[in-house]
Amino acid sequence: MKRALSMILAASAAATTLAGCGSPSSPDTADQASTSVLKGEITFWHSFTQGARMEAVQSAADRFMQEHPEVKINIETYSWGDFNTKWNAGLTTGDLPDMSTAQNTGEVVEMLNADVLQSVDDMVDQIGRDRFSANALADMSVDGATYGVPYYSHAQVMWYREDMLKAANLKVPATWNEFYDAAVALTKDGTFGAAFSCSPNDLLCTRYLNYYVRSAGGSLLNDDLTANLTSPEAIDGINFWLKVYKDCSPAETINYTVNDHATLFYQGKTAFDFNSGFMIGGVQSNTPDAVPYVKCAPLPRLNADDKVYSAEATHIPLVVWKDSKHPEICKAFIEFLYQDDNYIDFIHSVPVGMLPSLTDVASNEAYLNNETIQQFTDSVKTIQTAVDTGHAIGFEHGPTAQASYLTSQGVIENMFQDIITNGTDVKTAAKAAEDQLNDIFDTMIG
Amino acid sequence: MLPCLLVVLCLLIYPLASTVMYSFTNKTLIRPSFKTVGLDNYIKILTDPEFIRAFVTTIGWTFCSLLGQIVIGFTGALALNKIQNPITKPFYRICMIIPWAFPSVAIALTWKWMLNGIQGYIPTVLMNLGLTEGMLQFLSDPKLVMPTLVFINIWFGAPMIMVNVYAALQTVPQDQYEAAVIDGATAWQSFLHITVPHIKVVVGLLVVLRTIWVFNNFDIIYMTTAGGPAGLSTTMPIYIYNLGWTSKLVGRASAASILLLIFLILVCLIYFYVIARWEKEEK
Repeated sequence: MKRALSMILAASAAATTLAGCGSPSSPDTADQASTSVLKGEITFWHSFTQGARMEAVQSAADRFMQEHPEVKINIETYSWGDFNTKWNAGLTTGDLPDMSTAQNTGEVVEMLNADVLQSVDDMVDQIGRDRFSANALADMSVDGATYGVPYYSHAQVMWYREDMLKAANLKVPATWNEFYDAAVALTKDGTFGAAFSCSPNDLLCTRYLNYYVRSAGGSLLNDDLTANLTSPEAIDGINFWLKVYKDCSPAETINYTVNDHATLFYQGKTAFDFNSGFMIGGVQSNTPDAVPYVKCAPLPRLNADDKVYSAEATHIPLVVWKDSKHPEICKAFIEFLYQDDNYIDFIHSVPVGMLPSLTDVASNEAYLNNETIQQFTDSVKTIQTAVDTGHAIGFEHGPTAQASYLTSQGVIENMFQDIITNGTDVKTAAKAAEDQLNDIFDTMIG
Repeated sequence: MLPCLLVVLCLLIYPLASTVMYSFTNKTLIRPSFKTVGLDNYIKILTDPEFIRAFVTTIGWTFCSLLGQIVIGFTGALALNKIQNPITKPFYRICMIIPWAFPSVAIALTWKWMLNGIQGYIPTVLMNLGLTEGMLQFLSDPKLVMPTLVFINIWFGAPMIMVNVYAALQTVPQDQYEAAVIDGATAWQSFLHITVPHIKVVVGLLVVLRTIWVFNNFDIIYMTTAGGPAGLSTTMPIYIYNLGWTSKLVGRASAASILLLIFLILVCLIYFYVIARWEKEEK
């Protein structure tokens, strides 16, 4: 009730802010913004720290400022981890941007929990609501209002080295048991079947456990949004990944984060990995000779005749902050970023890694006219299907702060480390982690 | 007077006062509003087994690191002091200070890479020499992780002790050693009755400083193991960081910081008492 009330208040405040901007010099809709003279200075925080993406955004901002000489866009770049820290601290210090990216839809919910975003429905309508995947917008909408717009999308699939599988006379696994058997068979001579990484500074254990639980039709959250790590599916999942860690993974990965973990696959140290299309860029830069053998398939299922499913789709949102003095500039700039040329230019900076969130761009000739996208057409299709049918971890219950805290606190990762290192009983460790998560939900959400 | 007061207010009083204040509240990073919870945070911290473990780990980490740094630094300084050659002396001095000159982040990442249990240089060499059966897991084996981190910290910190002790050794009057030789004193007796009394105050102050630095060290451990596996290398600063930035519980992190501060003040008081006695004895 309290949350609903705060959402209504937030929506009213956002509406008031927009109404307050309704003077001729600061139009209240993005449509008017594009035709009126925009004037002012905004700060844009984003997390595209890699060269090509950063340059694409900077170049778009430069062009926008050329078109609107009285606008200044100050871009500040923070890594994903630093970004979360930065805006968290900004809530106390007041040092917050006008617009920003968010790490994922979970972070948007975290931001909404802190009541710092404004609705962007007018902008979404202006860009074309039906151009976005319904799932993507649903993951950023609360109580009928949309608070973010997906800039690009990706989803988790299973990556494998075709050459290693062929050499061992193995077929592409379709079930978890087949995956485990293949991973065990490929663990030899300094190569590992798959890595299972447990650093509490990342979410890999949560992600992997979620794959298994979702494939079994379960969820890491109950319907009442409490944590669920003690269901039969979750316990089976924990035992499954412990088996993978013990039999197919380097022991060192107990402390690995996602970058260390993915590097093992890039370097051909692991035969399987679970990741998005960003995998291709990593292999291209680490072991270019292996690129032709890198393929992806849908996530393994529990039984061979189970339906193909998507356990995790991620949409990277652009959001406008509630206290922005120039929401009209933010919205006009975001619309500008979605113009075909600018958008395709950005998406091409990490081809296959970033898939377009605009459905029509996916079939746009200019977008398809890219060497990597053409080389990995099948992979793009597999990932795109997972994007279209999936949600963020825990978002099968809708966008909730609980889903966000499920992945951001390292609780499940600590649980795995505890079981592996101290030999704690699985059910005991699962119950302790579940209680800890519920305690966090109570403290943080109230 | 006023600038000095401003500096003290801004850099000491304000952060300290705000930490004390937050430690009695339920403040989180993501909500600006908070309320007073009395001693709740302190009770939760003191009854948290993770806190107890982090505290014990920190004591062990500090004691072992400091002991190793002092023994190696002291030995290095004495060895350096014995070198008379004007060409080789500066060469050794520069070589031995190199670890201290590196940024700790670079040191942590370099050691992390060298000790990597999959393709690290050191485990590979040990295995190829037949000294180990497989690749040693320096950073993930529960038995090896803390000794490995302590070793890195000793390697990093000993040069600083060495340089300071070496500087102190330069102040010992040479005629006292000559007189001791004439009186038939052994090398050990000269060391015990001439060297030690002259440098013990400097070493004492170094120990105070290093205790605080090592106790509060964050970067080497965080960059190497992030406190893992399973919290085995979680020291107090990492525990507090995780509370404040991962769990976003500013109130609880503040309470843990205050407890750490109180402990360090007590340790420093003991040290200063001992040093004051030494100084009194000298007079």
